[in-house]
Amino acid sequence: MSAAARLTDVRKSYRTDHLEVPAVRGVSLEIEAGAFLSIAGPSGSGKTTLLNLLGALDTPTGGTIEIGGLTTDGLSPRQLADFRNTHLGFVFQTFNLIPVLTARENVELPLQLQGIADRGDRRGRVEAILRDVGLGDLMDRRPNELSGGQQQRVAVARALVKGPTLVLADEPTANLDTATAHEIMDLMREMNARAGTTFVFSTHDPLVMDHATRIVRLRDGHVESDERKGADRGH
Amino acid sequence: MGTDLRAGVIGPMLTARLAWRNLRRNRRRTWITAATVALAVLLLQLEVATIIGLEGQSKDNLISYQTGHAKVFAAGYFAERDELPLDRAVTDASGLTLRLEAIPGVSAAAPRVVFAAQLSDGRDQVPCTGIGIDLEAGETDVFRIPQAVTAGTFLSAGEPGLLVGGGLAELFGVSPGGWLTVVAKTRQGAYEALELPIVGLVGTGNPDIDRNSFFVPLATARRMLAMDGGATEIAVRFGAAAGEATTLARVRSALAAEPGLEVLGWRDLEQDYLAMATAERISNGIFLGIFVLLGVVGVANTVMLAVFERTREIGMLMALGLRGAGVRRIFVVEGALLGLLGAAVGTALAICLMIPYAAYGLNLTALYGEIDLGYPVRDRLYGAFDGTALVVVWLLTAVLSGFASFYPAMRASRQRPAEALRHV
Repeated sequence: MSAAARLTDVRKSYRTDHLEVPAVRGVSLEIEAGAFLSIAGPSGSGKTTLLNLLGALDTPTGGTIEIGGLTTDGLSPRQLADFRNTHLGFVFQTFNLIPVLTARENVELPLQLQGIADRGDRRGRVEAILRDVGLGDLMDRRPNELSGGQQQRVAVARALVKGPTLVLADEPTANLDTATAHEIMDLMREMNARAGTTFVFSTHDPLVMDHATRIVRLRDGHVESDERKGADRGH
Repeated sequence: MGTDLRAGVIGPMLTARLAWRNLRRNRRRTWITAATVALAVLLLQLEVATIIGLEGQSKDNLISYQTGHAKVFAAGYFAERDELPLDRAVTDASGLTLRLEAIPGVSAAAPRVVFAAQLSDGRDQVPCTGIGIDLEAGETDVFRIPQAVTAGTFLSAGEPGLLVGGGLAELFGVSPGGWLTVVAKTRQGAYEALELPIVGLVGTGNPDIDRNSFFVPLATARRMLAMDGGATEIAVRFGAAAGEATTLARVRSALAAEPGLEVLGWRDLEQDYLAMATAERISNGIFLGIFVLLGVVGVANTVMLAVFERTREIGMLMALGLRGAGVRRIFVVEGALLGLLGAAVGTALAICLMIPYAAYGLNLTALYGEIDLGYPVRDRLYGAFDGTALVVVWLLTAVLSGFASFYPAMRASRQRPAEALRHV
């Protein structure tokens, strides 16, 4: 199976006035296409930093990152924006939908950003994905008219609508009750299985981790363990 | 069908929709900022209406009472105009007047003799300007002096008399029915005095005339100054059909073969006034520019707050692939829209006030007493209702608001996505 992402000796340190604080200390990882991978670890272990690096939201201080066979090394902020636009989808802990746009408009945004001019094409794709995530009847509602679970479904739809190489989800269930958290994880797993989209999500919730086909545990910026489960597709 | 979209930025329609909805997110703040802009724009619109009104009335006043649209002089007269030289006169004034009236676009022409004089009531003697006007030729077609008579009557052909500027009459304490003596040098340099009855007073709003001039019949002036058949100037009024510049060019062209004559348009004749009006425009512009700037700074401040409040949202948009230029566009459009909204309210209020201002005017004398505004206008000032100026001020405010939003927008676009997403 080909790799959706490959990290080689990736490091990230934050510099304060007098100190250099390492957050990720030489992580090497190959994420195969179609994986449903959980990055686990306690607070401060480097989960979010690693996801930000993988998502080209931040630049590493050392090592290389390849996504879909392309390296993000030396790209300008604009090139990084274009890279994210083409290859990556994001789901955030706090949903991060634009409150003044409807569910439909929120999901349409990535397609607009890709420069897809055909409104009919955009609308068709948006409606299809919103139906897939179970929001076919709620497309014209704004985020404040949706429950937390429904908002996260919109966020999942927004991440998937452009058919990215990789979807990154930072603690996607942290703001949801247990039942809804399972629903969201089931939804992401279903999308992963149906379209073969690679998912990488961070969590410290053991129940959420159970959904993963591979669990990479971090501690103090290092990979502590890398556990593959039997159900991992492609393995 | 789709609109033209560029990768990495949000399309113009969605940007505008987003800006409008974001402004409605914090309505109170939006309206407070818009109200500041509205107040500045209201004042600016009223000031612009006043300046355009003042300039329009002044132009009308100068053309109607002092210069006509143009004047024809004997060559060299204009250079020595302060001396009012009688020896640089147009000799065949009647013939030239007829030729001028035949030029297409010219509606009337009138010969005048303008001379340096002293007016005396026997006790005091005041230097002033005498103007001999032709009551039989086109004088009343070129100028509107009869309409400016405030007491007594206008001059009559064949009846020697004086029409005196109101300010001058006040100085002497005279009124129609009284007498004043005109003392002037003839063309040959000899002193001549003539006692004349005051038939009327004029109030044109033009201080040059009201405080410094008197009118006599052209025949009286010619007899007194030994100017038989001559005139120091021929004043010309243009019709409305052709443009001012076109008719002036035609007059110049018609007289081009006569080096003994020179033609000057009212703008050439009133350079001092035009310089003063330009200076007034600039000083008023600076004053009100500061006002508008304050409003626009309010917009920038509101956009800055929005940038701060929506930092995480910016981070999310960047994560989706929005480029820095796209982030800037969102906030610049938001600022411009806020300026557009405030300026629309200010302009609407200004229109409500300008309708009565243009129709009924402001009584300057009642407001300020007898003051000299520096503009040749009568006691009532009318604001000018100028649609183009209204739209220009409105749109310019929106553009300035957009420009002012550029700095906060730039700050928003320079954030690193990971840091923006961490913002609490």
